[in-house]
This record gives sequence, C-alpha cells and structure tokens, in this order.
Amino acid sequence: MVSVLDRKLLRELRGAGLLLAAIASILAIGVAMYVALGTAHRNLSHAQQRYYARCRMADFWIEVKKVPLSELEPLARLPAVVEIQPRLQSLVTIDMEHAEQPLNGLVLSLPDQRTKVINDIVLKRGSYFTLARQNEAIVNEAFARRHGLRPGQALHVILNNRRQELVIVGTAVSSEFTYLVGPGSIVPDPDHFGVCYIKQSFAEEVLDFQGSANQVLGRLAPAARARPQEVLRRAELLLEEYGVFSATPLAEQSSHRFLANEIQGLEAFGVINPAIFLAVAVMVLNVLISRLVDQQRVVVGTLKALGYTDGELFWHFAKFGLAVGTAGGLAGCVLGHLLAEAMTALYRLFFEFPTLHNEFYGRAHLMGLLLGMACGVMGTTYGARHAVRLQPAEAMRPRAPQRGGAIALERVRWLWRRLSFGWRMTIRNVVRQRLRSAAGIFAAAMGSCLAMNALLLARASEYMVHFQLERVQRSDLDLVFRDAQGLEAWDEARRLPGVDHAEPVFDLACTLRHGHRSHKGGIQGLAAGAWLTMPRDASGQRVRIPPWGLVLARRLAEKLDVQRGGWVIVEPTQGLRRPVRAPVVEITDSYLGMAAYADLRYLNRLVGEELSITGVQLSVTPEWGLRRQLYRELKQLPAVQAVAARADMIRTVRDTLVKNQRVFIGLLVLFSGVIFFGSVLNSSLVSLAEREREVATLLVVGYTPWQVGGLFLRESMLTNLTGTVLGLPLGYLLSVGITIAYDTEMFRIPVVDPTAIGLVTLCLGMAFGLLAHACVQWSIFKLDWLEALKTKE
Amino acid sequence: MLRLSMTTSHNGSATPLVRLEDVGKTYHMGELDVQVVRHVSLEIYAGELLVMVGPSGSGKSTLLNILGGLDRPSAGRVWFRDLELSACSRRELTRFRREAVGFVFQFYNLVPNLTARENVLVSTEISSTPMDVDRALALVGLTDRADHFPAQLSGGEQQRVAIARAVAKNPELLLCDEPTGALDYETGKRILRLLADLRQQLGTTVLLITHNAAIAHMADRVVRLRSGEVVEVHANPAPLAPEEIEW
Repeated sequence: MVSVLDRKLLRELRGAGLLLAAIASILAIGVAMYVALGTAHRNLSHAQQRYYARCRMADFWIEVKKVPLSELEPLARLPAVVEIQPRLQSLVTIDMEHAEQPLNGLVLSLPDQRTKVINDIVLKRGSYFTLARQNEAIVNEAFARRHGLRPGQALHVILNNRRQELVIVGTAVSSEFTYLVGPGSIVPDPDHFGVCYIKQSFAEEVLDFQGSANQVLGRLAPAARARPQEVLRRAELLLEEYGVFSATPLAEQSSHRFLANEIQGLEAFGVINPAIFLAVAVMVLNVLISRLVDQQRVVVGTLKALGYTDGELFWHFAKFGLAVGTAGGLAGCVLGHLLAEAMTALYRLFFEFPTLHNEFYGRAHLMGLLLGMACGVMGTTYGARHAVRLQPAEAMRPRAPQRGGAIALERVRWLWRRLSFGWRMTIRNVVRQRLRSAAGIFAAAMGSCLAMNALLLARASEYMVHFQLERVQRSDLDLVFRDAQGLEAWDEARRLPGVDHAEPVFDLACTLRHGHRSHKGGIQGLAAGAWLTMPRDASGQRVRIPPWGLVLARRLAEKLDVQRGGWVIVEPTQGLRRPVRAPVVEITDSYLGMAAYADLRYLNRLVGEELSITGVQLSVTPEWGLRRQLYRELKQLPAVQAVAARADMIRTVRDTLVKNQRVFIGLLVLFSGVIFFGSVLNSSLVSLAEREREVATLLVVGYTPWQVGGLFLRESMLTNLTGTVLGLPLGYLLSVGITIAYDTEMFRIPVVDPTAIGLVTLCLGMAFGLLAHACVQWSIFKLDWLEALKTKE
Repeated sequence: MLRLSMTTSHNGSATPLVRLEDVGKTYHMGELDVQVVRHVSLEIYAGELLVMVGPSGSGKSTLLNILGGLDRPSAGRVWFRDLELSACSRRELTRFRREAVGFVFQFYNLVPNLTARENVLVSTEISSTPMDVDRALALVGLTDRADHFPAQLSGGEQQRVAIARAVAKNPELLLCDEPTGALDYETGKRILRLLADLRQQLGTTVLLITHNAAIAHMADRVVRLRSGEVVEVHANPAPLAPEEIEW
C-alpha cells in the first residue's frame, strides 16, 4: 500500500520530469563510469590473471648471445628461482606472397612435443607440432587471422640468412604477447608483425644453436616476485661470459607493462571521473530540493501541524533524492554495462586474450546503485534539513521578504554606477542565491575540468604521433641488419630501386650509468647531417647531433640524473662490452621511448668498433612501381632482419589508438556537456519557478520574452563562465597529473596547446549552457503570465 | 513521555480541557522585541465552542498556535488536561498534534497534488483513532468530489476538505484560524454551519478565531483580544445559529 505522502512524491517526481531527468543523467553518468571502469578493470585483470596462470607466465626474460644449455644449471639453482627454461628466438622477415612489402616477425622455439613450459601457448586453431614434418610452425592468431593463414598453409621466412618454408599446423595466443608490438612500435600491428613458434630441434638446426639457447625464461618463488632485481643481478653475473643483452623482469616486459598500465589507469579513472559527476549531481540536486522545500513551506508547516514528525518529513524529502538516485543508479548500471562492453570490445583490438568477455559483476552494479542512491539522499540532505528545521507556526506565516540589502560590489561605486540595470539585477541575484550560484559554478568547473582534460589528451596523442613519427622520424623505410655491416651495405641500400636517399644508422645496445643510476637501452648513431632522424626539443627546434658526445632524451637524462655537461658510462651489451665514459652534450625531447643519439663515427670510435652500421634509413620515391620493386628486392636480402615502414606505423597508430581514443574522448566531452546542460537547466528553471511573478510583471510592463530570457541568460552565463574559467586550470592540472601517472619509459603524454584548448573548452561550456538556456527561453514563452500574476506567494 | 488522557469529556464542568496561565509571547526581530501576547490566562472546557475575536495583530493566531502545540510561549504555562504543553519537547508536541488537535486554516493549506480523499488520508494515516475517510468526506458533503484535486474545487469545497481532514482523526480540540476569512458570505455561513453540526455530532471542542465580531454570536463563550491581551471573556447565554448571523 503506497502511503499518501508517497503518492504526493510520485506526482511531484512526474511534475519535475525534465529537471529530474537532467540531474538523474548526471548521476547516471557518474554511476555508469564507476560501473564501466570497474567492470573493464575486473574484465582485464581477471583475464590477465587467468591467462598468466594458464600460460605459466615468466617472471623474467634474459637475452644472451649464446649460452650452452649445460651452463644453465647454476642459474636454476639460485635460491628464488623455481624454474627456468631456455629457448631460441630470432627476429625474421616474413615473405607473404600477397603482401608487397616484407613483414617482420619473431620466431620462437617450443619443445617438439607438447610439455609443460613457461610462457606456454593457448592453441586457437589446428594442433601442436606433429611428427610429420620438421618445419612445422604455429602462428600467432591475430597475424594468422589478418593474413588469412590457416593450418596446412605454407609461410616463408628469412631465418639465419636462409629463406625457409614453414608449414602452419596451428594458430595460438600466449600471455607474453597479450599486447604484441613489433620493434619500435607502440600499438599492435598484426598487418606487419607476427610471432611464429617452431620446433626446438628445427630452431637449433637452422639457427646453428645446437645445445644452446639465446633466451632464458624463469619463474620465481612468490616471495621474490615483488623484488626480482637481486635475482636478475645474480643471474647476469652467472651468464656474463655468454653476453647478456638484457635481463627483463615481468614488470618491465613490454606486453605486461602496457596491460598493467591500462589496468592501473582504469583503477585511477574509476575513482576520479565518477566522483566528479556524483559530486556535481549532489550539488545540483541540493539546489532543486531546497527550492522544492521552499516552495512547499506551507505544506511542510501543515503536515507538521497535523502531527507529522521531523523524521517523517526528512524521510519524505530524502525519498525524493532516493528516487532520483535509484533512477540514475539503475540507468547508470545499464549504461555502465554497455560502456564496459564497448571498452572490452576495444581492448580485444589491442590485447590478445584467449577469451575476453564483458562479465556482469553484481558487486560493481550493486555498489553503483548504492552510490547513486547515497548521492541522491545526500543531494536532498540540505533541503530536507531545512524542512525539518522549519517551525510549523513560522512556515504558515507569509514569508518574510528576501534579504534585499546592498551587496559588497555596490560599495565599489564607480564600477556599480557603470553597470546597466540588467547587470545590476543579475549580479545581485547571483550573489544572493549563494547555494545556487555555488552549485552552478562548481558544476561548470567540473564540466570544464573534464572537457579540458579530455581535449588535452586527444590533442596529446595527435601531437605525439605528429612529433615522433613525422617530425623526429622522417624516413620512409628503416632497414635493420641482422649483424653489423660495413659502409658498403649503406652503399648497396642507396642503389636499391626507388631509393631517393639513404642514411646509415649504428644502433648500440648498452647500459648507460651515472652514479648508482642506470638505464638499459641503446644509443642511435646517426651520420653527420642526417635528416631522416631529426631529434628535437620540446619547442620543435631541431637538435643537431654534435661530432662528439651524447644527446639524451630529457626523460633519460632525468632517469640518470645527469645534466648537459655531465658524463655517463656507456656499457655495451654486445661486442667487447668495455665500459667507456661519454659526455652528455645536448638534451632533446622525446615522447616515445628513451632515446639517446650520437654521431655514428663517434659512437663507433667510442666502443672501439671499425666503422660499422646496423641499419639504414631510406627515403623512398612515392612511385608505386619502383616501391614494389624495392619491396621485392628487400624480401630477397638475407642480411635484412626487419623492415619498418613509417607510413604503416602512423596509419596503424591513427587507425587504432587515436581513432578509438577519439570515440572515448568524444564521449567524455559529451558527458561533461551533460554537466553543463543539467546544471544550467536546473538553476535557471528553479530560478524561473521562483520568480514567475517577477517575470510576469516584466512582461506586463512591456519587456519582450527575449529580453526577460536575456536576464536569466546573463545569470546562468555569469556562473557558467566563472565556473568554466575556474575549471580550466583544474583540467590542466588533472592532465598534468595523468601525464605524470602515465609517464613510463615507453611513452610520455605531452600537455600541448593548453591555451587553445582552454578556449575550445570555454566555447563548449558556453554552447552547452546556451542549449540549456534554449529550454529556459522556451519555458518563458510558454509561461501563462496572467496566471503567474495571480499566484499566491 | 506524553500523557494524553482521552477518556473524560467535560461540558461546562470545572475541569478545563485547556488551561493557559499568564501566557506571553515575544518575538525577537533584530534588535527589536515585539510582545504579541501578554499575560493571557484562560480556560477552555471540553465540548464548548469558543470564539476568540480581535483585530489584526491582536495575538489571536499566536495564541492559537500555542494552544495547538505549533509554537511555545515565551512566558507562562499551558496545559492540555494534565499535559503541560509549555514544557513539552518537540517530539511530545508532535505527538500531541497528531493525536489531540485538528487544524482548519484560513487558506485551507491543502496539499495541491493530492486529491480531496488523499488530503484527508494525510491526516488519518498517522492517527491512532482515525475516522473512515469516506465518512469524513460524507460529513462535509464531498463524497462525489473525493477524487478531485484542490485546483478543481471551489474555495468552500477546499475548506470543507480541510475540515474533513481536521475531524477525520477524531481530535478532542478543533482549532479554526479564520475559517471563513477567504470565503464569500454565503459559503462562509455554510462552513460555520458545518462546524457547528460537527461539534454537535462529534462532541469536539471548537476554538475559532476571527476578526469578524459577528461570528461571536454563535459561540458558547467569547474571548476578546486587543494588543495581545484578553480584554473580555463572556459567556453567551443564547448562541445563535450560523444562519441567523449577519455581517
């Protein structure tokens, strides 16, 4: 049985439809974000845990030049090491008949017969290796799907300078390649990069690695997993004589790092964003309920006179908020689930899991609903408390006129005198309606903070791609040689068909040390006057490579705590591996990776090498016929280990990362628009309801509805503009916070063009505000002002 | 704990239903103290129709609010039977209003988005001894208008709904604040007739305040107020029927 007060409530809820819908929408978005981000977080982290357990994910990877399997015993006996597994790996070029250009790939060995291994695979199609052929291969599922590869088909790779045919027996995924990126890339690109698993015995044979390995995987005891550095340090010492290129703990493994960053980001955003929306909804709802209580002064007084208790009345108004909160909460749960579905679908594009479903997490939905309800009730507290405090006798007396004294600004006479009548009215109203104005300013500030942040992030990814892949890296094709070559290789590359210009590159894998700090990475040696790689500073100015000394990316310099003029120790991980000192002569800015550059000849001299190169960068003619010829030749060159096309990389990044990010950022901007719209609509309609008589009087004395609307517009725009302007630095700070949180060795999100984006945000805020005002103006047109004049106060 | 005794009905007996002892009420308005009721001592007996008359600002409404437990006196004491209202907590006053008092206001004070029946339900839902809602509406002659909203009713009909709401919880004391003040002459008279009939039928004590001196003619006793003070209390040996009153 619905109580009579509940019936009153239901009718009031129906009557306040538009306003409540606006507030419920803000609440719904907050709850939706909470549910969506929480669900996506759980989807990803649960999938990760299941996947890692299923594949027996390694805790570390050690890459060596060549280590005999018999020498791995001491490593296996290290106290924290539970299990190790040697394997072979090699970067290859893959020759697909239908693909014009050579593709890059990674070949990994797996035991000939299925057995328990570290970094195991999950078969998707076909089978594991059989006894039928030695050259069987299992290809990673995304690559196979993209190129239409099926079990039974053949595939050609250049393996150890020889063209090898591999017969595909199956397709698979593996947890170590959940986020599979090729060398130098930041997004998965199955069009141009794939993983091939081949039999251990076959790998040993074709790579000339009988009885030895060039990579060791290991699993640690649970207690050692949090601090693998010590184990890795000892492992490096044990394997030192076999040429350790790198020792990577799980935390630094590229696939894991991308995934973990995403999971961590979802957790952080899952708190900040919903909190903003929910806080705004609470403020805006308070304005509405305060007005409702004020409007129902006499009803409240009468109910008190009839014997209703304070608690009953508080609960009556709280139920109003509870209803809005429940509606917003339920809508938010549905929207959140859909949003999580979209996010999970997006993650399926980037992360390759055996299964990644959008699960229904009852707890997240329940929490979302409770959050919505709690915010709804909080949104009514102020107004409902006012109802409780109202003395019945006082409530039924005509209300004392509102405070009408001069406001502080009026004391600044020279300014006040210059203001028009309309502006004086506007400013007085804004100042006198403190709660309403504060709520409006707060909402606009939050809306602008979110929009600014979203737009800055959108601009950042565009800028990052443009800066790094168009301005710093300018070559069309990068060839990476299997082994260091003499300058004649460069000469040969220059003469390839379609090549307009070629520059030699010497990439030195090394550890850079400064004091107790170190960084494992590389230095790129560039030819004097090179223009296919052009390091730049943050302002976009070219940083020339000096004839001696190193040029470090700012983040690398920060990591090593070294400044221009300082010295670092370069410890090559290949060749003689003799540590040498090198001065830091220039600092550059980079958003991808931690780059270090030097003059090619200087770098060669520094590590005591003859003049050698590890790759060539090419500027290629756009003429397609010549390009095709070039690709054909490259496919035949056994010395080439990898070919990277910049245009492909840019297209992949734009098609996946930037495009999808745009959808989400568009959604965020739309959501912030709901805040602007909802808040302006709420405060203006509440204000209009309160001042119907005033409006009617103005209409009677000859004001047009547009002029009257103009008064309301000024008020809403004054608070909206103030809030939006205040929100801009908040949005900027939020973005800076995010860049710090996401500042990894892989990439750094820049904050660019804040002024222009601030202006765009300002325009957006005003546009959404104007849209809301259109509804208010419509209400003014609709107002039955003769009736309003009769209304009893 | 509220101690309400609802058993004994007094009619002209020596035990009063309500007793005011040297009651005063002062409002603090900024730096100004405005004394709206001063030194009022009065007794109201069960079953009587008491009319309190006085011009605007004479303190009638304030006294009514104090009697109804809507407000507290600044000075003096007020009893309802043996319950000292002036010493009651907010909660006790609420319970007193819920169980013992019915209010009829000048401007009806109906909840606009509830129908006539629902407006009566507002009162019966919280009462421990409610009357059937349909009976209450029948008593005021509004059975066929029960499902209309206040905006669809005339002023007289709205006031009848308000009276039905007040009597539906079977109060011992019915407090009417200018019940005809917003009505035309004929409708006003019909409302007075209704109040008189209900008092007859239900035996409720009725206190009616008005600035209209003519209404005093229907009272058992009349209290005249001026500037917050009782200037005269007199019994009416031959109360007139509402139809006989002219103003």
